[in-house]
Amino acid sequence: MVRPEDIKQYIEQGLPCEHLEVEGDGHHFQALIVSREFAGKSRVQRHQRVYAALGSRMREEIHALSMRTLTPEEWKGQ
Amino acid sequence: MSVQDVIKSQVTSHPVVLYMKGTPQFPQCGFSASAVQVLKACGVNNFFSVNVLENPDIRQGIKEFSDWPTIPQLYVNGEFIGGADIMREMYQSGELQKLLQGVTAG
Repeated sequence: MVRPEDIKQYIEQGLPCEHLEVEGDGHHFQALIVSREFAGKSRVQRHQRVYAALGSRMREEIHALSMRTLTPEEWKGQ
Repeated sequence: MSVQDVIKSQVTSHPVVLYMKGTPQFPQCGFSASAVQVLKACGVNNFFSVNVLENPDIRQGIKEFSDWPTIPQLYVNGEFIGGADIMREMYQSGELQKLLQGVTAG
């Protein structure tokens, strides 16, 4: 079974993050992803960037990943 | 017609299209259920929905169409808007209501 720390590692390997939290029960996961790379990108482009980092794992291992994607500035402004 | 052509035709011939698991009456997945709820909360009760569980070719094809690996997927006036998370965020910020204003007929 995929663990939240596995997903965290997968994302970190493919995307430089200022802050990253992943929670989940092995089936459904929630991630808070803060990265400078999101600046100037739409929500769709940000999620696509994370999906690209996860690659084929998104199709094979991870069935339900809910995410919030923020730039460091947006995250501080919360 | 190829699967990509079928999808292109669906999203351009209906103002609001939701690719989902199950039907609006009986969603088969929590994310799809959430997407339907958000549309209804925006006052959109009459939208074109495609049950990907009954259409395996579309289920695969839609992921390539939008370069997006998950279902549900919302399209408004032919444009890919996002999945369940983005729909909820846009609803909470009021952006989705604004986007859907005026395109909800039919």
